[in-house]
Amino acid sequence: MNQGLAVEATGVSKTFGSVRAVDDITIRVAEGEVYGVLGPNGAGKTTFLRMLFGLIRPDAGTIRILGRTWDESGVAVLDEVAGFIESPRFYPYLTGRQNLEGLALLDGGHPPGLLEEVLEVVEMDDRADERVGGYSYGMRQRLGVAASLLRTPRLLVLDEPANGLDPAGIRDMRSLVKRLADSGLTVLLSSHDMDEVEEICDNVTIMKRGTVAFHGTIAHLRTMAPQPGHVLATTDDVRALELAHQHPALRVARDPEAALVVTGARPAVSAYVATLVRADIDLLAFNQTQTPLEALFFMLTDDTAHQTLARPVEPTTVPR
Amino acid sequence: MRRTILVVLAALAVVVALGAAVVAANGDQSTVTRPRLERSLTTTFSNLYVHKAALQGRTLAPASLHAQAMCDKAGAENKDVGPGGDWNCLMSWTDPEVPMPPEGYGKFELNVHSNDCYTAGGPSKLTGFLTMTDTRGKVVSNPVFEFDGCFDPDGDNTPTGVVFPSLLAIASTTITPDADGRAGLQVTCGSGDQGCAGSIAVAAGDTELGTVHFDLAEESTGTLPLPAALPAGAKETTFSVTSTTGAGPTSPVTLPVQR
Amino acid sequence: MSATTNAPVATAGTTPGARTRPGLVAPLRWEIRKLRAQLRAKAVLIGALVLPVVVVVVIHGQSRPPKDTLFGRFATVNGFALALLILGFAAQWVLPLLTAVVAGDIFAGEDQHGTWKTVLTRSTSRARLFWAKTLTAAGFAAIVLAVLAASTIASSVLIVGHEPLTGLSGQTIPAAEALRLVAVSWATMLPPMLGFTCLAILLSVWSRNPAVGIAGPVVIGMVMQLVGALGGVEAVRPFLLSTPFEAWHGLLADPRFTGPLLDGLLTSAVWCALSLTAAFTLLRRRDITGG
Repeated sequence: MNQGLAVEATGVSKTFGSVRAVDDITIRVAEGEVYGVLGPNGAGKTTFLRMLFGLIRPDAGTIRILGRTWDESGVAVLDEVAGFIESPRFYPYLTGRQNLEGLALLDGGHPPGLLEEVLEVVEMDDRADERVGGYSYGMRQRLGVAASLLRTPRLLVLDEPANGLDPAGIRDMRSLVKRLADSGLTVLLSSHDMDEVEEICDNVTIMKRGTVAFHGTIAHLRTMAPQPGHVLATTDDVRALELAHQHPALRVARDPEAALVVTGARPAVSAYVATLVRADIDLLAFNQTQTPLEALFFMLTDDTAHQTLARPVEPTTVPR
Repeated sequence: MRRTILVVLAALAVVVALGAAVVAANGDQSTVTRPRLERSLTTTFSNLYVHKAALQGRTLAPASLHAQAMCDKAGAENKDVGPGGDWNCLMSWTDPEVPMPPEGYGKFELNVHSNDCYTAGGPSKLTGFLTMTDTRGKVVSNPVFEFDGCFDPDGDNTPTGVVFPSLLAIASTTITPDADGRAGLQVTCGSGDQGCAGSIAVAAGDTELGTVHFDLAEESTGTLPLPAALPAGAKETTFSVTSTTGAGPTSPVTLPVQR
Repeated sequence: MSATTNAPVATAGTTPGARTRPGLVAPLRWEIRKLRAQLRAKAVLIGALVLPVVVVVVIHGQSRPPKDTLFGRFATVNGFALALLILGFAAQWVLPLLTAVVAGDIFAGEDQHGTWKTVLTRSTSRARLFWAKTLTAAGFAAIVLAVLAASTIASSVLIVGHEPLTGLSGQTIPAAEALRLVAVSWATMLPPMLGFTCLAILLSVWSRNPAVGIAGPVVIGMVMQLVGALGGVEAVRPFLLSTPFEAWHGLLADPRFTGPLLDGLLTSAVWCALSLTAAFTLLRRRDITGG
């Protein structure tokens, strides 16, 4: 199965105005694996994927997909590559089927019967003759997967495929991706949900503000994960953060929802709580809600964290 | 949004600058010139005149009319170039049934556009009125009363050499003397080659008042003072024009005196 | 999604890299199919077929002919003159609008629907897609002009009559010749109209906004017309895209002159070349960040 690299991006950078959206990213995805690109919103994941698809031109670096680069081969780079960026968009005044037929024209045709088959796989065969303008979000997402499968790709690139779906839709999307991966496709997907990535990916790159915060296997990530995280809400988060310096065994950071995330051994956490109480800071909430990996993810991508764990590691293929 | 506005303004600035450069480089050039108008007017008029004659049951050939025209742009001094509504063309032609007036031509007014097309209208004494009756008794529109024409912007631009004399006309309808009995006569000198010059003999009733000389440029108006005061009780004055340059009224003109 | 069905996958059956990349015909077929599905294009074609008949009937019923436009003088009694009157009027803003409705939207529509990221991630290059859209827009312009011309000439001649026509040098043109000249005059509208197609494409690509792509060429056309009619700045007339719309005058004069027609062809060609080059470059270099 390991015939080489499906995606080889080296030193890729892109700047928009004064913002470095992608800063010297190197990612290698082997054939046959499921690779996750993880990061909070604004980390540069979508920009990177757009560069894979040729929608955005990188300022620096090379991108080699299934052995070909854009400069050498032009749009032939996308032979056997399919996927979608953010929410898939179609022509609202045409039906789902007409949209797919049009995209097949742009592909140079499709084998007979394939169109019906992909519609069945995503369970859109009964709604395919309605106008896309009337589709729900989930239906459009499924049509996007169908449009990708129509190209019979070797590499599937999906940008936040479960984004915006309801829990049933999320579950279905994840199982579909798993089945596609099991059948031999290389899948590169991006997400901001650690749990999703943990469930289906073999290797992962975690991005933070355009740079790589971590490369490695999920297994490796698990070994790095600290104790389960605790979420605290206090009456004085600022002072609580200062007091955290007295507890070097703990990592305390503030997450975007203005709660304190504490990771560390249970006794150390209890000691920290005691310190807060002595300092007359009231605890409004104290929950263990983060999985170890979620906590790790948050640590890696948070701005106030003091340490990053950025050790680019050569991805190894997990035999399936 | 701001970027859009800036780009649009920049594009506008570039366009205007280029336009100004083109205009500056080419000066006052225009495809509308006197020779082209003169040739087009005579050709178009001749064809239409023949058409009108056919409606009246006469057969004429356009060439037999020998139409000739002299065009002049009223506003500009010596610059008969460019579009405008102030082109005057003096045109003569030969038709035994419609003789030319004494000055030898009819004055046509042309409104010329920058796309090398024009609308022309002439004196109804010579061209007729808006409608006419054809041989079958039907009322039809008169082809030469008012007509359109277009000419080749690349057409022959050599001067035709056609000139007609200017026509002096007496503009006043009455003579109004002041307390001393002095009065003035308003005259106009129309389009034409060299303006109007000559003398006018003035008489009030049986009394000769003398002559007054005039020398006017074409397309100008002047007020000529009467050579002597009007006698009290004079009821009318008579003017006899003798032209040395240009043409004028061939018979004496009589105007009432209004006190 | 059922867990029992299997995903159709490339491993069995298709040989790797065996995709036949489409030429220009397939993307062209796709653009034409999209156009046919849009109400806008159909409405314009129907309008081009029906409205001239209405206009002909209205003008025929007027007691005072519109003398301020060429051939207006005879328009109430002569079908050929009426067809040329309508031609002169259509050139002012109708023709740029008819082509801009499609050409001004064919690129900006993708921005509006967010579908650039959908169509550019297939096997058709940006260049091929650009030419497919440009050819579609040009084809539509030609078709709508043909429909408008046929409808105008047919209804004018049938409703108002086919007496001999008085030409622009006062000459009398017999009916058969007049019909031929009227048809050719309408046909000479195509090069400047295509010039506006190219301009609309440029505005569509640059602004990414269908409203600008559609209204822009119309406004620019009217401004050019105004400027072209001014005295004193006539030196710019050869560079204006509105000037070739009047080149047909030479066909109705005697002797016929064709200088303006050739100049008009050149002007339209240059406008197209410049507009399309700029549009192509903009599209090629654009980073698709939206959609």
